[in-house]
Amino acid sequence: MILSAINNYSSEQVNRNIAESDSDKILEMRGIVKKYGDFTALKGVDFSVKKREIVTIIGPSGSGKSTLLRCVNGLTEPTKGEVLLNGRTSMVFQHFNLFPHMTCLENITYAPVKVLKWPREQVVENARKLLEMVNLSDKADAYPAQISGGQKQRVAIARSLAMKPDLMLFDEPTSALDPEIIGSVLNVMKELAKEHMTMVVVTHEMSFARDVSDRTVFMADGKILEEGKPEEIFSNPKTDRLKAFLSSF
Amino acid sequence: MILKPLIENWQLLLEGTVMVIKLFLTTIVFSLPLGLPIALGANSRIYPIRLLCQGYVWIFRGTPLLMQMFFFYFFIPINIGVAPSLFSTIAFTFVLNYAAYFAEIYRGGINSIDRGQFEAAHSLGLTKWQTTRDIVLPQTMKAILPSIFNEVITLVKDTALAQTLGMMELMKVTYGIVNRTSMTTIFLYTAIIYLLLNLIITLVAGKLEAHFSRYDAKEEF
Repeated sequence: MILSAINNYSSEQVNRNIAESDSDKILEMRGIVKKYGDFTALKGVDFSVKKREIVTIIGPSGSGKSTLLRCVNGLTEPTKGEVLLNGRTSMVFQHFNLFPHMTCLENITYAPVKVLKWPREQVVENARKLLEMVNLSDKADAYPAQISGGQKQRVAIARSLAMKPDLMLFDEPTSALDPEIIGSVLNVMKELAKEHMTMVVVTHEMSFARDVSDRTVFMADGKILEEGKPEEIFSNPKTDRLKAFLSSF
Repeated sequence: MILKPLIENWQLLLEGTVMVIKLFLTTIVFSLPLGLPIALGANSRIYPIRLLCQGYVWIFRGTPLLMQMFFFYFFIPINIGVAPSLFSTIAFTFVLNYAAYFAEIYRGGINSIDRGQFEAAHSLGLTKWQTTRDIVLPQTMKAILPSIFNEVITLVKDTALAQTLGMMELMKVTYGIVNRTSMTTIFLYTAIIYLLLNLIITLVAGKLEAHFSRYDAKEEF
């Protein structure tokens, strides 16, 4: 239902530069190093994402998870290394970052109309479907200050989806939310996962990582220490760092 | 009778007031937009641009408006060889001077915008100009309006400086009447005119502030 809402444009698809025959990889990062002065946040990370894959990145604070994610869409420039991206990304932030001077509907429609130059009527129609999908149809004309944190994050997800991204990036989307409303946001993300939206999710929600992802990546000290199917990562951790990390939950 | 000076001199006062309004509007119309590129330039990552814009602000905020007026009054005819009208020279100086103040107010407003707004704009693919025009400036407006109107009200009073170069604005006219007639109550009426002008501006400020605060928290839960 979600992807049908996203894909209902009959108009031309934006050239997404995906060579189908070439590879089914949407993202390939090689040897990513990121230094902030003397501090090295990423120490040579290789990371790739396949089309329709759902990857969660877990790890302690300061392990470089968010930095890696931000290197994907250019919010952070790697000091060294290569980022190859096939298609459009869209990011959901920890603090939502909705535009406070626009209504929820305007937040969703602004970029598709102004950046992607899609026809406004179709964009608005699609935005209303997306709002329905995140259960916020009645908040279309509300300003962000008038809705709760969980609702804001659902609008932010709708805003990202409206761009019809090939890859969705989630940077700790529930970390700023009260425990009782985290579920509403996770449910939307689970819906997306069911439809196999390609997603990379940095999260502290271990049950979400275990239940939803195709692959879980464990990062610590600017490196990927372990990655694999969530069953393996969570039931059979190999490194002491991961064991210690998991036992803290 | 206390109304006598007013009845006898209202035409002169009106002419002076019209001059005040003319200088005021000319300054506002040009300096408000001019401040914006200076503010953006002062924040630029390109060093020469930043230096230029910061230098501009330093010079025009750092010297008296009165001195700048005299500078351009003598500098332009002597060194460039054209003699603009008195009004043009004064308005030109006012625009350059006020643009520097407005630039600093804009810059402060822009810097107060949360970094997350720039990140969201970037991740949605907005250009720098789209980000500035549609995301940053509308949010900045609310924060900077009180400071802007502070300057605008100062501007109304600063027009009185134009008398030093002989412009027949309200203060000059008032002095003239007092010198001619010895009726000092005329100062009272002049004060009332300035107050009325600034009352109008204050009312406009209130309307605009309400407009740009419309998306503020009206908590519903």
